[in-house]
Amino acid sequence: MKAARLLPKSAPLVLLAASDREVIMKPAAFDYERPQTLDDALKLLASSDNAKIIAGGQSLMPMLNFRLLAPELLVDISRIDELRGIRETKGRGLSVGALTRHHEMETSKLVEERFPVIHEAMQYVAHLAIRNRGTIGGSLSHADPAAELPMMAVLLDAHLHVAGPNGLRQVAARDFFLGALTTDLEENEILVQVEFPGLPKRSAYAFDEFAQRSGDFALCSVAVILSWSGNFLTGGKKIGDVRIALMGVDETPVRIEVAEQLLSGAKHIDDPLLEQVASVIRDTIQPNGDLHASADYRRHLAYTMSQQTLKTAWQRLQGQTDED
Amino acid sequence: MPESNSSQYVGSRVKRREDPRLLTGRGRYVDDIKVAGMLHIAFRRSDYSHARILSIDTSAAKASPGVVEVFTAKDIEGEFNPVLAQSRMRDYQPTIMQILAADKVRFVGEAVVAVVAESRYLAEDAAALVEIEYDELPLVTDPEQALINSSAKLHEQMDSNVLLQREFNRGDVDEAFYGASVYIKERFRFTRKTSLAMENRTYLAEYNSAEQALTLHTTSQVPGIIRDILVDALDIPGSHLRVVAPDVGGGFGGKTSLYPEEVLAPILAKKLERPVKWTGDRIEDLISTSQGFDEIIDAEIAVDREGRILGLRADVIGDVGAYSIYPWTAGIEPVQVVSFLPGPYKIENYHGRVRGVATSKPPTGPYRGVGRPVSTFVMERLVDMAARELQMDPREIRQRNLVQPHEFPYKAASGIVWDQSGFTQGLNGACEAIGYDGLRRTQAQARAQGRMVGIGIASFAELTGIGSRLSASPGMPINTGTETASISVDSTGGITARFGVTSYGQGLETSLAQVVADELNVEISQIRILQGDSAAVSHSTGSYASRGAVLGAGAAILACRALDQKLKAVAAILLSSSAEDILIRDGVFSGPGSDEKLTFKDLAKAYYSQMGLIPAPIRNEIGELSATQMYDPEWGTTSSATHIALVEIDPDTFKVKVDKYVVAEDCGQMLNPMIVDGQVHGGVAQGIGAALYEEMIYDEQGQNLTASLVDYVVPSATEIPRMDVVHLDLEKPKTLGGVRGMGEGGTIGAPAAIANAVADALAPLGQQVTTLPVTPQRIFELVQAAKANQ
Ligand SMILES: Cc1cc2nc3c(=O)[nH]c(=O)nc-3n(C[C@H](O)[C@H](O)[C@H](O)COP(=O)(O)OP(=O)(O)OC[C@H]3O[C@@H](n4cnc5c(N)ncnc54)[C@H](O)[C@@H]3O)c2cc1C
Repeated sequence: MKAARLLPKSAPLVLLAASDREVIMKPAAFDYERPQTLDDALKLLASSDNAKIIAGGQSLMPMLNFRLLAPELLVDISRIDELRGIRETKGRGLSVGALTRHHEMETSKLVEERFPVIHEAMQYVAHLAIRNRGTIGGSLSHADPAAELPMMAVLLDAHLHVAGPNGLRQVAARDFFLGALTTDLEENEILVQVEFPGLPKRSAYAFDEFAQRSGDFALCSVAVILSWSGNFLTGGKKIGDVRIALMGVDETPVRIEVAEQLLSGAKHIDDPLLEQVASVIRDTIQPNGDLHASADYRRHLAYTMSQQTLKTAWQRLQGQTDED
Repeated sequence: MPESNSSQYVGSRVKRREDPRLLTGRGRYVDDIKVAGMLHIAFRRSDYSHARILSIDTSAAKASPGVVEVFTAKDIEGEFNPVLAQSRMRDYQPTIMQILAADKVRFVGEAVVAVVAESRYLAEDAAALVEIEYDELPLVTDPEQALINSSAKLHEQMDSNVLLQREFNRGDVDEAFYGASVYIKERFRFTRKTSLAMENRTYLAEYNSAEQALTLHTTSQVPGIIRDILVDALDIPGSHLRVVAPDVGGGFGGKTSLYPEEVLAPILAKKLERPVKWTGDRIEDLISTSQGFDEIIDAEIAVDREGRILGLRADVIGDVGAYSIYPWTAGIEPVQVVSFLPGPYKIENYHGRVRGVATSKPPTGPYRGVGRPVSTFVMERLVDMAARELQMDPREIRQRNLVQPHEFPYKAASGIVWDQSGFTQGLNGACEAIGYDGLRRTQAQARAQGRMVGIGIASFAELTGIGSRLSASPGMPINTGTETASISVDSTGGITARFGVTSYGQGLETSLAQVVADELNVEISQIRILQGDSAAVSHSTGSYASRGAVLGAGAAILACRALDQKLKAVAAILLSSSAEDILIRDGVFSGPGSDEKLTFKDLAKAYYSQMGLIPAPIRNEIGELSATQMYDPEWGTTSSATHIALVEIDPDTFKVKVDKYVVAEDCGQMLNPMIVDGQVHGGVAQGIGAALYEEMIYDEQGQNLTASLVDYVVPSATEIPRMDVVHLDLEKPKTLGGVRGMGEGGTIGAPAAIANAVADALAPLGQQVTTLPVTPQRIFELVQAAKANQ
């Protein structure tokens, strides 16, 4: 059917004009339930062949209004308190409940302290009004190829905790995102929390993103973590753990392992090495072209932004001394 | 005559009276209006850009819950007279407006079936059940193809896809080019945009069968034009057809034309004898509201060693879309590109040709600036390119070619006559305000560090407040040269001023109140302004083409003067003085013959209600305390400005950042400097959108790839820089009140200034900016091309 081509490729952003005196809305009719517990929510999901979870509604409502989706039942999970909040886990990690709002994540001191890269990336998620409603679980489940949260999950080797009819299961972030708007989640499952394992002690990060307008989904984004390993006192220190993630350049966020390996074990990063790594990144990614950025331009962005981001991370890492 | 016009409001920054209402959500837009028994329309629109309709099956839709009726073209046949935009232009072919597509569809998004239901949800549900079978016809999406290929015609009954053709000639262009020392030839492209008002188009039609009267509430800038044409289209007398535009959430030209849905809603309200509403959603807005610009311009300029322009040549292809829009015709946009191309410069030899070609896209129509954002872009680019060849500063080449202060009135190469306006003063004012020479030095330093920094100038002139001697669109047979104000003092002393010119957010309600308050010498809060109702005055065409303030203020002044006479005649009797000696100050009448002072209320009560105070013969002569006057500025007047932008291109991402922006403009007497600033700011923001972000993209099948605000990229507040606006205080024009129009200037200058600045930043690479918007993707391509050339 051709009509679909009228619709935008990426997540449509027309928001619902939800004023109490107004009855004109666009979605097809649906039933609505708002369970108080995870169990009830799972039961409701199991009760219908065509149910959909709604959390913050920031991505789902536009899709309903465009009638890209016409579920029979909406299960509103926003009142399930057990899915809320940011908690410390052992080894300097954090566990974040699926219902945590973007804005909570953005302003959390714990997040800023342990994962400054997430803190910085959150500033790029949409606009404040959307961050006030949108949830971490919603972003991860929606899996927009240019969304920051999935990228952070991939960068930080997060574990996603999923509840289903048969209990809980864990999925590694890299196995969770299967394609654009496609995840490992089954229809009847709920993402309950995401766990970010702690980073090595002496590590540094850098993050960069480019979009045409502030608040837009990224055309390209790069995030880097570099960590020292080895013995500082004996002078044996070298770069240990390296993570390089890009987003906006493929159907899902990607880690560039070949590039990571080039840096791991290095004692020093100089400009030729930076250029080499950036070239590898550029040649490894497989971006698609669209209206706003061709594949070539995306490769270019990946190249220049990787170089800058790695440089910043390296400068920060050099500031990390053994007193830390 | 002792005049006490202290002019306390005109020229001052009076706060906008509409703002408390609009900014606190208490405005009343068409969609806010609900009436008992109201039905809702949802459309099934074409998925194809050019196809024959083989069959339409509405049975499932009709059976769907809540559906009252489903209409196709056949079902409304004979319910209206055909609407088509006429023109006196030679070589013009009008098109007949399709209310619902009859035999074939001509663009994706054209309405084919209207479903009327008890709610919009149910109407949408049913619209999805309509089945339409199409037979695809040859593609007519590429204007250059459509121009030469007469076998694939969009309108079969026509000779070709060329809806209009026009040429302008002055002097001997070939000769001029022969003697040139610098010659530039380039192909420019100004892509299609949409005016993107915040409020989508919405219509509510109510038919009162007992009185056989129809009321249409519409999101229109031109309720008078809509009333006049609907009278003809629907055979309802004007006295029984009222068109109301209540609060309107932005227009920018997109709400100056008649739309099929606007004709259909009344037809269906009459047929069903129930109120019918259609509220366009954002997709519908992006695929069916009139679009802007979209031209390919092949242009050449010849310049002598001193930088003087010897000749100019242009061939313009306007992609005007599927229909010639009512009332402006498909000529409004592309013809103005050619007629305004010579700009504010002295050019003795000019040849311009334009052809408007029908393609299977939504019709183009007026969009803020109309034609001139494009002509200014092309001309200002050519001038800069010539300056670069001559190694002359862009400021200097403009200085040498601008019409000088002593040379007005000046008849431009296309026949447009410029009256006195600050062309050179604008250039100098802008250069001074931005510190031009210092900026060039800063730029040189930045370049030395390898940074991509550019400065762009754009100078332009426009005709505003056009009177009856010209038409707002070439050859258009309706009068766009007059406006009416009707001002009355009622029996309580209340002052109501009715206007045909409309407000849709631009602040005209306030500006007009200022004029009336000053003319009548009363406190501004005493004045009620009524607009946006075809019943307010007998004839009006509304607000567009930078005419609202010029014609509205002029009509207000004339009406106030006439009313003033009446009021003074009455006061003279009551105050035992002669009319010439009556003074009005702060709403109080006084005269030398009495110590008494009268307020408007006293005077009105005495006149209307206290019998015996005014002799009957005199009352019979004076009549109602009201006056209605029309104003016709005949030729209109010239507004002009120079814009200067400083930009920097990020070397990694190629994002363009606008670091400084200055406008120096001559709009004559400012009614309200705050509103003038706001208009300039908003206009420049839209121009920045056109220059850097916005583009309506269609694939070769004619599918709109930018049918959401994810993909049609408009700048938001964070992308818009601070701007400095210099208002030149120069000789006032001859319009009443000395007002020049200024609603569009921002949009006219900004694309050219930004384009020149980006081009200047890229100049060391030897690349030219010829297509707008110049997005990061396009700059990337230019940089790649430069690398390949090395
Ligand atoms: C104008 C605009 C700009 C935006 N820009 C950005 C941006 O730059 N970067 C960015 O990352 N995002 C952006 N977003 C998206 C925004 O962040 C989303 O709101 C968010 O990602 C989704 O969260 P939500 O809670 O609103 O999810 P919802 O809209 O409620 O749901 C989204 C999807 O996830 C499913 N879902 C939700 N929660 C769960 C769960 N716990 N388990 C299983 N499935 C679940 C829903 O069924 C639905 O399919 C933008 C949105 C808008 C409107």
